[in-house]
Parts: sequence; structure tokens; C-alpha cells
Amino acid sequence: MNVGPDHERWADWAGVYVLGALPEDDCAAYEDHLAHCPACRAEAEELRVAAQAIPLSAPPMLPPASLKARIMAEVEREAELLASAGGAPKPAPKRAKRRFGLRLPMPAVALACAALIAGVVLGGVLFGADGGRTIDMQSTLPNASAELEMTDDGAILVANNLPTPPEGKVYMVWIQKPGQAPEPTSALFTPRRDGSATASVTGDMDDVETVLVNTEPLGGSTTPTSEPFLTASLS
Amino acid sequence: MGRDMDVRALADEDLIPMMARGDARAFEALYERHSGAAYSLAYRMVGKQAMAEDVIQEAFINLWRSGAHYDRGRGSVRTWILGIVHHRAIDALRRSSVHSKRRSDDETAAERLESPERVEEDVARRDEASIVRGALDVLPADQLKVIELAYFGGFTHTEIADMLESPIGTVKGRMRLGLKKMREALAHGAVEA
Repeated sequence: MNVGPDHERWADWAGVYVLGALPEDDCAAYEDHLAHCPACRAEAEELRVAAQAIPLSAPPMLPPASLKARIMAEVEREAELLASAGGAPKPAPKRAKRRFGLRLPMPAVALACAALIAGVVLGGVLFGADGGRTIDMQSTLPNASAELEMTDDGAILVANNLPTPPEGKVYMVWIQKPGQAPEPTSALFTPRRDGSATASVTGDMDDVETVLVNTEPLGGSTTPTSEPFLTASLS
Repeated sequence: MGRDMDVRALADEDLIPMMARGDARAFEALYERHSGAAYSLAYRMVGKQAMAEDVIQEAFINLWRSGAHYDRGRGSVRTWILGIVHHRAIDALRRSSVHSKRRSDDETAAERLESPERVEEDVARRDEASIVRGALDVLPADQLKVIELAYFGGFTHTEIADMLESPIGTVKGRMRLGLKKMREALAHGAVEA
């Protein structure tokens, strides 16, 4: 089989490449070589079959149901936004009592949505064309800060400088109505590496007096098991 | 109900364009089909439940938002999804302090219990895992080690060479030879990724 220029230099690299063990710079150089070397290309394709089977050797496990709930909450929220913007032909099914969901940083949302609904002005779609009031949240954690941005269909919580929750714990958003105990939501989140975090509220907030965030075991709780460290008063 | 059943009966390749148009049911069908293998991979790599969940959440949200980028010429949908999970898990490992540690004790034993509706799928996955593990088991220990450190550990070949105090050329050679043997073994086991 034909070989490309510098074949001798790259002859042993196919295995490293298909395992994803090449640093980025080497990876780009090797891919450039692959484009010109049929022999290495054929070997990489052959070894890739083996490499792609490796993940299937992991001991089979089932993901917790709460994980699917968190992911679907976000997916359905975005599907509804896209549908309401006219970009999605098939609206997502409604799910009872799923009011909260996690959000990734705005640039990620914008990028993703741009691919789905070209031409839509995202700021208006996601946050309401007229914006909304922003409420500073009270924090009991040093350096941590957060605010709640009210939207037409809920609110968006944006926090900064949050510590990583203890192992086996996540942060959880609660809502509280006057004279009532805090109600759980499905908004469970952990901050990103830089301490920032965002969670969205997509339900009716008319009767909500307070939004709280505390620390709970993975999967959340039905009643708070720790004191809130972030509090927003909506009244 | 009827529509849900129809969606679940569709092939992965048919669900992807539906998902790319914003159909959450298509995404849910893909999640149901592949989250088990994806979570198993994530947990195998990061060894911690919370981190594995974060990896899966990031990977599937990424999948939801990038469905239009799937290229069937580069492999199956499952391969694509597991590739996303693999990259996310490596990112998580590299930014955590547990990169050099292996999985912890069996902290999630309860989650390994199967719900009745998952039995058939899990049996299939167990069989599949067994065949691939069989293909890995034919490898000499030194070849298996470099392959596992690279794939599941997320280490580069130079990091592995340092760890094992072996020349880089030796590590590269073991990876290549190990994958060739594994490829031959898989050809007999008829497992496709």
C-alpha cells in the first residue's frame, strides 16, 4: 500500500491516536499525515474498530432516575422555548411538577440554539423582550454571590464563587410560599470549575415569596435537610 | 402513547434529525437507549457517582444541542455518543484531583440493581461487555495496561511512559499491538461498536 511523506516518523502512532492518547499538537500533525498516507489511514481505521469497542467493556450499570429527570427538565425547557420561537415543529411533552432545570452558560445556549433556529434573536426569546427585574440573593457563604433574574415564565438563578459541594452532595433550589414550608424543585446543580452556576425556574412564580438554595444529598430531598445558603425574597 | 411507541421504534439514525429539530421525545428515546452504556463508561472512567452523573449530564445536553453535527460516515450513533462521554470524562478527570486514582469502593451497589423493565436491555449489555472484556483478556498484561490507562484513564502516551518508566516507543508499540490483537479477537466475537 502507498505510504505518505514522513511515513517512517508516524508508522507507530495509529494506536496512540485512536485511543485518544495524543496531545493536541501531535494529534493535528498526525491527522495531517493521515490525510496523505493511505497505509497509516488504513491501519488507523482497523485499530479504531477495536478502540471503539473498549467502552462497551465497562461493567454495566444503570444511571439513577434522578439524572434523567434533571436532563429531561433542561431538554424540555429548551424544546418549549424553541417551539414557542417557531423553530421546532414538534413541541416537547408536558411533564407534571417539573418546573426547574439546569442551564449551561448563556454562550452555550446561544450557540446551540443558533444551530437549531437560525435567525432568531435569542436574547428576546430566552429572557423576554422586555427583560425583567433582577433580585440580589442573600448569601451566608463568604465570597459567594447570586442573583435571580425574573423572566416571563419563571426566573433564572445565576451564582458565582460557589464552593464545590461536599462529596455525595449537590445544591438544590427550593421555593416557598407565604406561611408554607419550602417546596422541592428538580433543580439540582453543582457549580462549574470556576465556581459559577446557573439554574432556571420555568414555573409560575406569582405566589412564590422566597427562593432558597441549600445542600442536599444526590438526587435531592423532599424536605430541606440543611439550612439555605442563598435566599431571594420576591415580595 | 402511540406516538411514543412509534418514536421508540425508530432507528438511532432516524431519531437524530428529529432531535436536531427540537423533538424532546426523540432525545428521550436516545437517552433511554444509550444512557446505560454511557453511564457505565463514565463511572468506569471517573470512579465517582457524582462526577459520573455530571459527565453524563454534560454529554447528553451536548448531544441534544449538537445533534445536527452527527456524521454517520464516522460511525454509529452509539459510537458518537460514547465518544462525547469519553471526551467529557477525560475533561472531568483532568480538572479533578482523582485523575491518578482508580474507582472507589462499591458506593453505588444499589444502583446496579436492575428494574424489571431494564432486564432485557441489561442482559444484552452484559453479554456485549463480556465479549469485549474477553477480547481485552487475550492481551498480555503490559499491552492491556497501556490501553486501559489511555482509554479509561485519559492519560497521554507520554504520561503513561513516565508512569511506567518505559520508553515512549515501547508504549506506542504496545498500544498498536494490543489493539491489533483485540481487533482479531473481536472479529471472532462479532461485536461492533
